[in-house]
Amino acid sequence: MSTISTHLRNFKEPTKDQLLHLFFALPPSVNPPPATGAGPGSTGGAGGGNAAANNGAKGEKSVGAAEAELESMEINAVLSLGIQGEEDSYVSTPSVRPGLGHVQQRAGFELGLKVTRVFTVGVGQAGKLYLFPPYLTFASLDRKSVRFTIPLCTIRRVERLNARAGIYALSLSVWHGMKIVVQLTSLRPTADLFCSLLRDALKVELQKGKMKAVKPFIKTCYSELLVANATAPENADEKEGGGAASSKGDGAAAPEDGGPSSPAADSMYLGGLGLKFKFPGDPKKLREASKTKLWTNYLRTHGRNLTLLRYPQCTRLIQVGLPNRLRGEMWETLSGSIYLRFENPGVYEQILAENSGRTNTSTEEIEKDLHRSLPEYSAYQSEEGISALRRVLQAYSFKNPETGYCQAMNILAAAILIYMSEEQAFWLLEVICDRLLPGYYSPSMHGTLLDQRVFESLVQRCLPIIHDHFTEVDVQLSVASLPWFLSLFINSMPMVFAFRIIDCFFCMGPKVLFQVGLAILKINGEKLLQIQDDGQFIHLMREYFASLGDSAHPNSSDPRARAITRFQELLLVSFREFAIITDETIQSERRKYRSEIVHSIESFSKRSAIRNLRTLERFTKEQAGLIYDALFKAICVEPPPAVSLPPPSLLTTKDQAEERPETRIGLKTFRVFLSEICTWARTEKIVSNGFQQRVDREVAEHELIDRLFYFWDTSFRGALSFQDLVSGLDGVMFNDLMENIEWFFNLHDKNKDGYLTKDEVLTLSESLLFIFRHEIGDAYLGAVSRFMSNAFEYGDALLPRPEGADPSADPPHIESNQPYMNLATFRMVVLADEILESFFETDFSATFRLEPVPLQEIPNTNTGLLGGLWHNIANDDNRRIFNRFTDEIGKTIGKHQVFTRPAIGKYTALEEPKARESLLTPTMRRSASKASLSSIAETPTSESSASASASVPETSSTLSVDNAPTVSSATSAEFSPMPSMFHAAANAAALMERTPFAIDDAKDDEDESDIETDVEDDDVMDEVDAFLEAHDSGLTEAERELAQDLINAEPVK
Amino acid sequence: MADAASGSTERSVQVKLVLLGEAAVGKSSIVLRFVSNEFQPNKEPTIGAAFLTQKCRLEDRVLRYEIWDTAGQERFHSLAPMYYRNAQAAVVVYDVTKASSLEKAKTWVKELQRQANPNIVIALAGNKIDLVTPSSDSASPAPESEDEADDATATPGETTASGEPESLRQVPRDEAEAYAQEAGLLFFETSAKTGEGVVEIFTEIAKKIPIDQILASTRGGAGRPGAAAGRPGAQEGGVNLEESNAKGKDACNC
Repeated sequence: MSTISTHLRNFKEPTKDQLLHLFFALPPSVNPPPATGAGPGSTGGAGGGNAAANNGAKGEKSVGAAEAELESMEINAVLSLGIQGEEDSYVSTPSVRPGLGHVQQRAGFELGLKVTRVFTVGVGQAGKLYLFPPYLTFASLDRKSVRFTIPLCTIRRVERLNARAGIYALSLSVWHGMKIVVQLTSLRPTADLFCSLLRDALKVELQKGKMKAVKPFIKTCYSELLVANATAPENADEKEGGGAASSKGDGAAAPEDGGPSSPAADSMYLGGLGLKFKFPGDPKKLREASKTKLWTNYLRTHGRNLTLLRYPQCTRLIQVGLPNRLRGEMWETLSGSIYLRFENPGVYEQILAENSGRTNTSTEEIEKDLHRSLPEYSAYQSEEGISALRRVLQAYSFKNPETGYCQAMNILAAAILIYMSEEQAFWLLEVICDRLLPGYYSPSMHGTLLDQRVFESLVQRCLPIIHDHFTEVDVQLSVASLPWFLSLFINSMPMVFAFRIIDCFFCMGPKVLFQVGLAILKINGEKLLQIQDDGQFIHLMREYFASLGDSAHPNSSDPRARAITRFQELLLVSFREFAIITDETIQSERRKYRSEIVHSIESFSKRSAIRNLRTLERFTKEQAGLIYDALFKAICVEPPPAVSLPPPSLLTTKDQAEERPETRIGLKTFRVFLSEICTWARTEKIVSNGFQQRVDREVAEHELIDRLFYFWDTSFRGALSFQDLVSGLDGVMFNDLMENIEWFFNLHDKNKDGYLTKDEVLTLSESLLFIFRHEIGDAYLGAVSRFMSNAFEYGDALLPRPEGADPSADPPHIESNQPYMNLATFRMVVLADEILESFFETDFSATFRLEPVPLQEIPNTNTGLLGGLWHNIANDDNRRIFNRFTDEIGKTIGKHQVFTRPAIGKYTALEEPKARESLLTPTMRRSASKASLSSIAETPTSESSASASASVPETSSTLSVDNAPTVSSATSAEFSPMPSMFHAAANAAALMERTPFAIDDAKDDEDESDIETDVEDDDVMDEVDAFLEAHDSGLTEAERELAQDLINAEPVK
Repeated sequence: MADAASGSTERSVQVKLVLLGEAAVGKSSIVLRFVSNEFQPNKEPTIGAAFLTQKCRLEDRVLRYEIWDTAGQERFHSLAPMYYRNAQAAVVVYDVTKASSLEKAKTWVKELQRQANPNIVIALAGNKIDLVTPSSDSASPAPESEDEADDATATPGETTASGEPESLRQVPRDEAEAYAQEAGLLFFETSAKTGEGVVEIFTEIAKKIPIDQILASTRGGAGRPGAAAGRPGAQEGGVNLEESNAKGKDACNC
């Protein structure tokens, strides 16, 4: 049942670049356009240059040989706007304008243009011009007044203007006939560079044939029809105005099919369900006709759809509400989803086709909600509307399987489908979920929760009295405000009003939701102070929303005041009084609460994960929590592969299939997990450099860990769930001696036949060596070698022999992969050794430690584990740099020391365990078990460092006792042909550098080097042989002493 | 609103009740049946939670249920605490035709028992028994409109299969009842469509709720029925004082 979301790992602050892209509504770089967009141009353009692949603006497949990279660039510029040959039509427009109280200044900022009859309508606007191939964007300095984002392919012509000296100006002729004049005010070389980049980018677009895509695309836009009709014979305007009203009468899908001779006759513009099923609201009341007229004029002069230039007037027009027919297209344009649609022609249909007939959890959930998405709207009582809604939601969930489908998206989709076609709605939904409301609809809904928290904090800041009252009576703001944000008010207030808020939302961004939310509370402030519980709060809000159409000042003597509706008042308060809430406010508030939210979500899912465990086994809830923490950290560090969906055939079996895929981790993640829990699964280096002492932890890799992974994977899925981990740990952490031995045996008995093969015995020894790799002293190493020799000796001795065979004869030959040793023998071998015995008795279980994940140690502002984690991730690089820096200093001043922390750490150098003297007895060598060993490998090796692995059978001629501290120099010994297995073992052993003797007396630099050579010296082969001859484990007192001395001996210089 | 008038003659106790359960088991339908005695497509899709109120008479007392009907989709799970905190009662709903919904119900019960108000009264309701009871009602293809309405929340395909009702049942009554008993829950099988068992849930909950305790905890404000009576006073000691200071009629808003 438990799913552990990795979503939140990516829940970070957007970077400056990202914010800029967001501001300009640029398509994400991860969205390469499909090949379909490229016409024959792309094939021809061999020398075409490289499309912007890594400039961040947009990833493009490179079309030609690598030429100049398309770079993005910004430059200071002053923008002016002229309309070529349109003087007349412009002059006529002011007549409709006074109502808006905004007369655009026509004071020309005229450069010495070559072209005559260019009429400058825009004042010169200082700002920044950005080239983000394939887009050109501009924003005025205040970021508000003027901005545009236009695809380069809509630029028809660029001219360098022949202007006064010192002025560097470009004139860009855009598809819709506008002439954008930009005066580049940066230094000359910068301007030159910008121009050349622009030229390159334009060339690439041309080669890709993008210019040709513009015309057919623009036909899908209603604004074209609008403008065409307006410029066509007189009556077009008339017809347009009436069009909205009249079509509701007949409800026909085909609205004014253009004036008979109008150039728009071939227009195939896309529209929503509203065209057929009527748009909500009364068109007269909404003053559709005059709004349409105003927009027609604006769009004619300032560009439209792909080339819309946004001047303040645009925002004002939006604030009074978009006309229904234009609404869908304007939403597209304002949100930037139009660029996605432009760049990805046919993708929507393709997604649907590719996934046709597929069902999964998302599609099931969508199915349940189809009939409760704006059910009062007539289209959604018909199959036509329902199936459109189904297709859009499904297409989104197929495209974004991680988000899939979230309730509330149905309402959004249903709402926007009234105004736009399925394809448009699909891309708009993408932009909403992905960019405008990031994380709102994700499985953890972290975006929603964060913004609720931000909203609460804004209420606290802006409306402290209300906030205090809410706290006092314990009313939670979110019970009412959550749906506001989640469904953009569509669900809360009458649709006509919600859509007007949405207009503003697309135009001005997500801050609108906060502004409106605050305004709602402020307007109802008096009443809110009376409420005593959640219920009353909800009721009050409901009443208020129902009364939005009423007069805000019903008792006023001034008829004009009486005419102001509550909704108008709401917008006024929102955008006047709460204009202080800016994008930056929201950003910084989000930054403040991000980790808090992440922490609370995670602790919530942690609680449920633990609650939902089938069994806690023998762990307490706290311990399970620690296991969870380790697991969670592992997932953060090494995210498990995305859950691959089973084939559709498996998914269609309802009810049987798991409702929710459980989070399971793969081997890589498991290694990280185990390194958190288990001391030998990590390498911990204690570094001190005079400034700080820190522990550098590395995840170890070894076959043993992999083996453990598959051992715990009891359901053979190749992945482990939280429950698997809990059960697995339970199997090892509570064991006594016998259980541990058995567990270890089973772990290595791959085929579970109750026997280890010879190979497995060797692997097992390697496992032990791996566990002991950082132990201080030689005790464990000795133990392992004794184990090996014992194992083969007993193993051989206990082999069934042919009747009457000479017991002293060589044991029968057993293939290395044949059953060789059973548990009883194994147990005997282990128990024959004191060190191993004590290891299995307590130490082994103790290497598994449930401790708070070390990240908690990191000081940070947030107390929680996750806060720490986030802190960590945020500053990881910094810390690494700092560490490296201090290390360098430490090295220079000779204070840099590194020690590896042992996994068991039972013995320190001072109390070195009694090594068994027999090992050191030089006289005894060549054991009977040699036969069995040599059956695996006959290769003699010299005393190389590799020989320390204890798995190399043939002894060297030197004595083990010789303590050769300088053997490191002898490592040059050739590796004569060895079976690959031994190679591996040798290599593994070579890796097992054992650095320190003891952490305690680590102050002495010399020690360290001594130890290292000591390690090299460990001539285990001798020990093996010695032991094999010694048979019994008895050590004489003298031998013990000798060993002790040797261990502490100074190396020969 | 209407409540204010009737409340003045009788003691009205406010009870916060939350509905939980897997998506589309019929939570909203149960509430709708209880509140307005109708069965129809959802006018209000549940985003976060829908809020409704209904009064319920029990002997000489009137209970005013404040019902939070939560969204069932899994990802809304983390929002649920916001709704069940301070709740005195919970109805955990599952769908008798869907075994997995009982599993989900069990996890809800677990969560409530550990995280919610310790005195919370929990009822387990197996909904949609109209689909499995071979009554003449559901066998007859009677009201076409209702069938269509049913689609709103019904698992796709079940209406078509309603010819053989018993085969649809996936959760035997005994099994669920045994679980309810073991976990100390009230148990009902209901049909929001026919109305069977719906009112009983709320009456039984009303009987089990420690009304006197609630009243005692809100005595300070007892003169003003409806004004936030139903907060479990035990945990929220500080709140009562505030409530008694709040003033009269305006505060009552329902």
